[in-house]
Amino acid sequence: MIIIDGVLVSKGQGGVYGEKMMKGYRVWSPNRSKFAALAMIRPGTDLNPDLKVLYLGAANGTTVSHFADYVNCVYAVEFAPRPMQDLIEVSRRRTNIIPIMADAGNPREYAPFVESVDMVYQDVAQPNQAEIAIMNLPFLKKGGILILMLKTRSVDVTVSPKTVFLDTLKELEESGLEIEDACWLEPYHHDHACIICRKNS
Amino acid sequence: MQYWFGDINPDGSCVPVKGEIKEFAAHYRDTDFDMDNFVPLSPEDAVNCGAVKDQDEYLEKLRLLCIALAEEKIRAHYTKGDIELVQMVRMLDEMDHVINLLIERATEWYLVLNPKFSRKYKSVSAKQMVAIIRREKTSLGRLGYEIDRMSSERTRLMKEISSRTDIIAPNCSALVGGLVAARLISKAGSLAQMSRMPASAIQVLGAESALFTHLKGNTPSPKHGIIFQHRRVHNSKAKVRGRVSRVLGGKLAIAAKLDYFRGELVPEFIDPAQKRIDYVFSLGEENKK
Repeated sequence: MIIIDGVLVSKGQGGVYGEKMMKGYRVWSPNRSKFAALAMIRPGTDLNPDLKVLYLGAANGTTVSHFADYVNCVYAVEFAPRPMQDLIEVSRRRTNIIPIMADAGNPREYAPFVESVDMVYQDVAQPNQAEIAIMNLPFLKKGGILILMLKTRSVDVTVSPKTVFLDTLKELEESGLEIEDACWLEPYHHDHACIICRKNS
Repeated sequence: MQYWFGDINPDGSCVPVKGEIKEFAAHYRDTDFDMDNFVPLSPEDAVNCGAVKDQDEYLEKLRLLCIALAEEKIRAHYTKGDIELVQMVRMLDEMDHVINLLIERATEWYLVLNPKFSRKYKSVSAKQMVAIIRREKTSLGRLGYEIDRMSSERTRLMKEISSRTDIIAPNCSALVGGLVAARLISKAGSLAQMSRMPASAIQVLGAESALFTHLKGNTPSPKHGIIFQHRRVHNSKAKVRGRVSRVLGGKLAIAAKLDYFRGELVPEFIDPAQKRIDYVFSLGEENKK
């Protein structure tokens, strides 16, 4: 990752969503983006130009645009029409983003488009987040990693975030994934956890 | 196995899609994908198949295809009946507000130019006022012309809303007319949301502030919200108005469910419902005698 004076940045054409520029680089704020928060909390996190990424829950394409600055290509899946309009606009300027309008919980809708990827990145606000991630594992190469941004409050508001976190870890482990790392995204995002798993089989 | 660029047969032979994005989109719509024995594709397959020249063209074509498909889906979503309707109703309300403000402001200006003019002892409606202002030869006159045009555009919008609601929500429209039905849908957020509302909520839809002051303190409860705009509510005698509103709210709740789940006019429901509302309305008339 490119870090200048302690600030995470990415290399690319600016002005996507009014982000700040710094020495010609686009500032990637950990307060807005969960992946940027992860990169600040875990300095070893890396993205490289060979990666192909399946991004579930692409929303307006702000984090996606930074991903696209770092990696080979991004398959960005988003369901809602309003953010999709923005995502399409972003993909017109960044030609390594494939915008797919489909439900991440129904992979057969977009299976004909997606090649096998090195990374599945998921940031969806659904109660069955672990289930959605597991459904999308067929796209992940052997040895590839899954980064799950767990919105505990979307799973169940009545259960404590810690319980949701532990339950999700268990569910992922039972599906045959190996948990490499798991952390909370404090102080950038409250009640959000990040789970990194590797697919070995 | 079917992919976006063509079909790969079990024996390894491949049939690429011929043509441009349009043909690719048509091919995608025909695919029926089975996740159980899914094999992820690779760009090499598409190159070997002869669908694209190289990896760069692969990505470029796929991207354009996905954009086209997404745009199509967005369009389909937005034209699904009530989404545009809600925007149209909100625009109408906003136009009413703006036109009134402009007329008020233009009248003030006109009074300055014509010190002898007064609206006292003659009732000058807003429409007549605009007609008078238009006679001015200054920029005020030209503004009057623009206000006039906006008013006629507003009328056209109102008619369009009304006729569209007749199609989207035929039962609600039959009960309260297209415009009021459209306002109810807009306030509820969508027809789907309105169909899930209880009758009592529909009855006071649009009277939220009155409802919440009532719930907080000791003001009387609101009897009607948007449905007050319907003639059988505002023309009824005060004594039965609450009753008419309640009955109408109840019938609207049923009508909204019919509109959402069946989407067609149901005379078996509408005819007795109309009679019932008319009956409650007429109770007020009799009491007067």
